[in-house]
Amino acid sequence: MSKPTNICESKTFESIYNTYIKDLRRFIFYKTQETDITEDIVQDTFIKLWDNCSKVTYEKVKSYLFTVANNSFLNIKKHEKVVRKHQQTLTNPKTNESPEFVLLEKEFMEKLETTIAELPLKQKEVFLMNRIEKKTYKDIAEALNISVKAVEKRMHTALVFLREKIGDI
Amino acid sequence: MDTQKSHIENDTFLAQWLEGKLLDNELKELVSESDYTKYLKIRRGLEVLDAFNAPTDSTFTKIQQKIKSKNNKVIPLQYKPWLLAIAASIVLFFGLFSIFDTNQVAFETGYGEFKTIALLDGSEVILNSKSSLSYNEKQWESNKTVELNGEAFFKVKKGSDFTVTTSNGILKVLGTQFNVQSHKDLFEITCYEGKVSVLSKSETFILLPANTLRRINGNAIEAWNTEFNNPTWLNGESSFKSVPVEYVISALEAQYQVKINSQNIDTSIIYTGSFTHNNLETALQTVFKSLQIQYIEKENRKIDLVRNE
Repeated sequence: MSKPTNICESKTFESIYNTYIKDLRRFIFYKTQETDITEDIVQDTFIKLWDNCSKVTYEKVKSYLFTVANNSFLNIKKHEKVVRKHQQTLTNPKTNESPEFVLLEKEFMEKLETTIAELPLKQKEVFLMNRIEKKTYKDIAEALNISVKAVEKRMHTALVFLREKIGDI
Repeated sequence: MDTQKSHIENDTFLAQWLEGKLLDNELKELVSESDYTKYLKIRRGLEVLDAFNAPTDSTFTKIQQKIKSKNNKVIPLQYKPWLLAIAASIVLFFGLFSIFDTNQVAFETGYGEFKTIALLDGSEVILNSKSSLSYNEKQWESNKTVELNGEAFFKVKKGSDFTVTTSNGILKVLGTQFNVQSHKDLFEITCYEGKVSVLSKSETFILLPANTLRRINGNAIEAWNTEFNNPTWLNGESSFKSVPVEYVISALEAQYQVKINSQNIDTSIIYTGSFTHNNLETALQTVFKSLQIQYIEKENRKIDLVRNE
């Protein structure tokens, strides 16, 4: 019989972290729609896993992480509800959401990602340099040896392409 | 208006908007309503993608810092191989013991538990929490000896010659009622009826009803008279008379299955009083309030003690 993998070992813990961090981050984001709150929940979830590392078996880690994260999310919601109720008794009811608040559903995000991957090569190059490498249009222009105007055109077309492909999800 | 927006060009304005050079309300005038909301959504989606794809090591560093700063991690028992080894050897030891000497009878109590034990001669023993008692059944007739670790109240039947051995000393009795407490280096005996002879560190003492005898940490014997007819713990209360608070803390731990961290207080301060067995909160309050000590339940069943400033 092989020895059960021990989560309390920091190496194992780190590899669990690396395996699930991104999925967990997304999972919680779709619920909170807030990157900051997502970050908090994710951190607390892994700390909780560490605290209970001897009680959680390696096979159950994934479901443990997602359950704990989901519960923290629900607790935050519950708390918000109380706060909102309290605020309403004090002031006039108002929505916490800004007028520009848009809900980013899982489907939308997935479509956005696949569409970026489908961008025509020249647009994709510029687009990723701007989004991933955080380069300014001017830097990109210099790097590719084209004019700033050409970079802007490609960015513009890329956005139009995204808009059209994504449609009305 | 046209002059103001001369920088807007039809084939690049989205690039400028994404860069922040063109404002949202300016974009609103250039595209249809549905396109406008969609572009806002795409921009937010792109920002969130950045967050999704952000490197994860900074988050991991933060997690590790938080874990470190908590620093009160309980070391898990289950997975320490050497503990397993100890557990295995204990099992083996007792296993062998039971093969070679099947006549040893042992009793043990857990946290907050009592046990009443009837001995072969009709004597009765009530075992307090976290204590153990054993005797040899086979040799009982010739040698009525029980071994005690912890605290127990004995009602020995009249006419029985009876010996209690503890790590702190030996008691010999002849039909009495008495309480023995032997926790580590605390040794306390109270006689309620009859006569008890105590042998401790090669000194012999005779206790008469109501006499209490105590030795702490190998120091000189203290003696006084008790005002009770029974040990108070039988009635759901532990009482102490001028004992260093560390023994009170051990008793609390045994009673309530809690871990009390007394690092930050002086455990040699003397305590006189009692605590109840029914309610941890009340018990903590009665003991530590009077000593000007604050107690904080940091996590489940772990209590930290801090001196009141």
